[in-house]
Amino acid sequence: MRRSLSLYGLTFSLPLLLWQLLFFVFPLVFLVALSFWTVKNFRMQPDFDTVNWTTMYGRSIFWQAYATTVAMAAAAAALSSALAFPCSYAIAFKLSDTARRWAVFLMVIPFFTSYLVRVYSWQIFLSDAGIINVILGWFGLGPFPLLNTVGATMVGYLTLTFPLVVLLQLFSLVFVDRTLIEAAHNLRCGRLRTVFAVIIPSARVGLVIAALFAFILCFGDFVSPIYLGGGEPTTLSILITDTTKSGQQWPRAAVIALTMIATLLVVAFAAVRFAYKGRTK
Amino acid sequence: MSDKDTASINRNPAVDIALKTYVFLAYAFVFAPIAASFVFSFNSDRFPSIPLGHFSLEWYKAVATDPLVWEGLRNTLMVGVIVGVVATALGFGAAYTDFRYRFFGKQVYLALALLPPTIPVVILGLGMLAYLSRINLSGNALSVIIAHVVICAPFAMAIIRLRLSQMDPDLEAAAWNLGASEWAAMRHVIVPFAMPAILGALFITMAVSFDEFAIAWFVSGLNETLPVKVLGFLQGQVSPRINAIGTFVFVTSMTLVILAQVLLTGRGAKTRPASDE
Amino acid sequence: MKNDTLVSFEGVVKRFGEFVAVQRMDFEIAKGEFLAIMGSSGCGKTTTLRMLAGLEAPTEGVIRLSGKPINHLPTWSRDTPMVWQSLALFPFLNVRENVEFALKMRGVGKAERRRRAEQWLDRMQISEFAERDIAQLSGGQRQRVALARSLVVEPEILLLDEPLSALDAALKVRMQSVLKNLQRETGITFVYVTHSQSEAFSMADRVVIMSRGKIEQIGTPQEIYRAPRTRFVADFLGSSNIFTGKVTGADTSGVALDTPAGVLHLAAVDGSAKPRMGREATLTVLDTKTNLALEAPSGRVNAVRVRMIGEEFVGATATIYLETAQGQEIRVQKGHDELASLPLEIGKELVAWWPHEDGHLVTEG
Repeated sequence: MRRSLSLYGLTFSLPLLLWQLLFFVFPLVFLVALSFWTVKNFRMQPDFDTVNWTTMYGRSIFWQAYATTVAMAAAAAALSSALAFPCSYAIAFKLSDTARRWAVFLMVIPFFTSYLVRVYSWQIFLSDAGIINVILGWFGLGPFPLLNTVGATMVGYLTLTFPLVVLLQLFSLVFVDRTLIEAAHNLRCGRLRTVFAVIIPSARVGLVIAALFAFILCFGDFVSPIYLGGGEPTTLSILITDTTKSGQQWPRAAVIALTMIATLLVVAFAAVRFAYKGRTK
Repeated sequence: MSDKDTASINRNPAVDIALKTYVFLAYAFVFAPIAASFVFSFNSDRFPSIPLGHFSLEWYKAVATDPLVWEGLRNTLMVGVIVGVVATALGFGAAYTDFRYRFFGKQVYLALALLPPTIPVVILGLGMLAYLSRINLSGNALSVIIAHVVICAPFAMAIIRLRLSQMDPDLEAAAWNLGASEWAAMRHVIVPFAMPAILGALFITMAVSFDEFAIAWFVSGLNETLPVKVLGFLQGQVSPRINAIGTFVFVTSMTLVILAQVLLTGRGAKTRPASDE
Repeated sequence: MKNDTLVSFEGVVKRFGEFVAVQRMDFEIAKGEFLAIMGSSGCGKTTTLRMLAGLEAPTEGVIRLSGKPINHLPTWSRDTPMVWQSLALFPFLNVRENVEFALKMRGVGKAERRRRAEQWLDRMQISEFAERDIAQLSGGQRQRVALARSLVVEPEILLLDEPLSALDAALKVRMQSVLKNLQRETGITFVYVTHSQSEAFSMADRVVIMSRGKIEQIGTPQEIYRAPRTRFVADFLGSSNIFTGKVTGADTSGVALDTPAGVLHLAAVDGSAKPRMGREATLTVLDTKTNLALEAPSGRVNAVRVRMIGEEFVGATATIYLETAQGQEIRVQKGHDELASLPLEIGKELVAWWPHEDGHLVTEG
């Protein structure tokens, strides 16, 4: 009863709406306006000039960074998904209920440790005199330059995404109907073929969403490329921070940010379309 | 369970062992940096590596004697508590709205309520700093609180919404039917039922705020929170002090999370019929 | 309006968007009666109850309680407590707190609250569980808590929405007598929604049968059982054999119907349901009033040739399933002794017969 808006209903629904409009939507909309402003004598002034768009889109460094970021985020999403799958598969199908609960609990812990601290910790492992090179030294190997490489950036990306991807994959795998798997075995579908023919298609939505989240996280991350990758190659997020620092070029940073949002929207839309393809009921 | 019966004949022990080893290695990868940070926070060497130096509390002392760290800690705690309370209140309102009402544009409302964590922090930080400085809100603790609430409210909403979905939908109507006004039903039925989730959300959002540093980095000017300080260490001289701070932050966050966990499962379970075994 | 009317529905319609849940409903509920509203799911019975409780507002029409329109009175301002299908007991309150809830909402003081709750806990024989959590109670005990929680305000009317559906068969029967006795002793009007014929017919003074948002028939259980008013009711009750055909004769001596099973006769019907020549009409005869024989007896009886296709025994009664030449199923329900003389075996050719006056004419197609 009383479906119409009442003071009571608004008391609960309105605060969050106002807050997110005021402090989430408006800032993003403001970025659009900002991208048309101009900078003169290190001061921003409201304007309607496409100069920032033409400047940024005319620079090869921007497109290089764009291609690098897309490639690295896609690689990280693929790598993370591939490495996480056997792990989430084993947790979902090979562990007891109690062990599974513990596995989930342990995978949640990283979310409550500072990503930055974890990245710093990887420096202890990867630096020239770090743990890995010391161990290799015992066997007369190395030292190898591990830090400030693309590989180190990938380690950082995995640190960021791996727990989330495992949890999301796990969440879709535990809902795969066990009788489907038994039916497949019963129809003489081998163990490995069952994984590819039955389990992965059944859990597709969750697997794609997990990969999508990995892509989104890596695409916008600036901590790993800077502190593990040494800032080379330049990614879009590094470009944003550099641009804001150099000569108050906030409008140009806004152009990069908006391009990133547009890219993420396209990727997310395509991924969701793919995830639900042929599942219309 | 039938699963266990088929296990014996349809499983290959070698595959099982390989998979379980893989799981162990995966967890080793996830926990290596966390463990290393913990171990080296008690290590005397200036440049952390193996073999370990001797046990030392020197980094903790260095941190504890730095007045800037204490100020940062005070700010972080204050911001964390305020963010927790505000984000939980907003999240509760949104969760209840989703639970109770159907209205035109609800999809948009829910998108607004849940989307912020999926936007990269760099972009959100850039937008907020530009926008907040425009409306003269940047550079103080208030701006950090505003930004953290945007990020944290969706978590609070998700946790509380999950709890409300466990509630018998007739419960609220039953309270009205017994003479409770909408406000009375809220106070005597909805809030008591959702209480474990409300407290859980409070602690989780406090924990998220506690180590959500990137936004703070962009947004805050003078009033540095602890994660901002951490970033300062990283950008300047690398020092094992970060391990000491990291360990402290970790212990604090985990305390909050475990508290939340106990509240969400322990008391939550009691309110449902004894279904376990 | 009569003096003893407690509730009246006057032209009540309820629509949810395009969907019509209840269409133009007119009926009254008397003070102190036990009324059951029965129908299959989606027939509008629960919507009717919820409108009475104030959980849904009628789209059109007026609902009156003790003569006063209550359409726009919110549920918390009416005294129309309800017992829910899910029971909807508050899981975070103990038994006593659940029972005290309605009193607390009405601002009754603590001591008074406790005293009145105690009375009802006693009456429902659950005093010993007063401090327990709801999760620790059995299904039957929860049922009693739900009743006590609603009755503690001593309302004039109690609404029950399939409250027994979660119980096992034996407990269901026991709770039926608890409910019936409670209603008789307190004199509170009970409105009881159910899809179960046995619940409705064993407890209610009057039964309302609904289908697709409409009232099909209101009457005492006996009236409805003996004389279903519509084809739907006859089908729904499932206790009659039903024949449909064209009216070929209608006069003071009776009615003749030309059905696929042959021409069937009815004794004279009273004025209200006079069929017109050439129109479709439906005849029903209770399966307990349908007889079996090897040859049709003479006299004013209808006889239909049938073949036996199955049998079923429950206790002392047997149900024999038969089929006409046209494939229509006929049921006969009798005591074993009444059937003992017949050679009952599958495939046997028999005659089903009944006196003209046992047939009943249904007015609507």
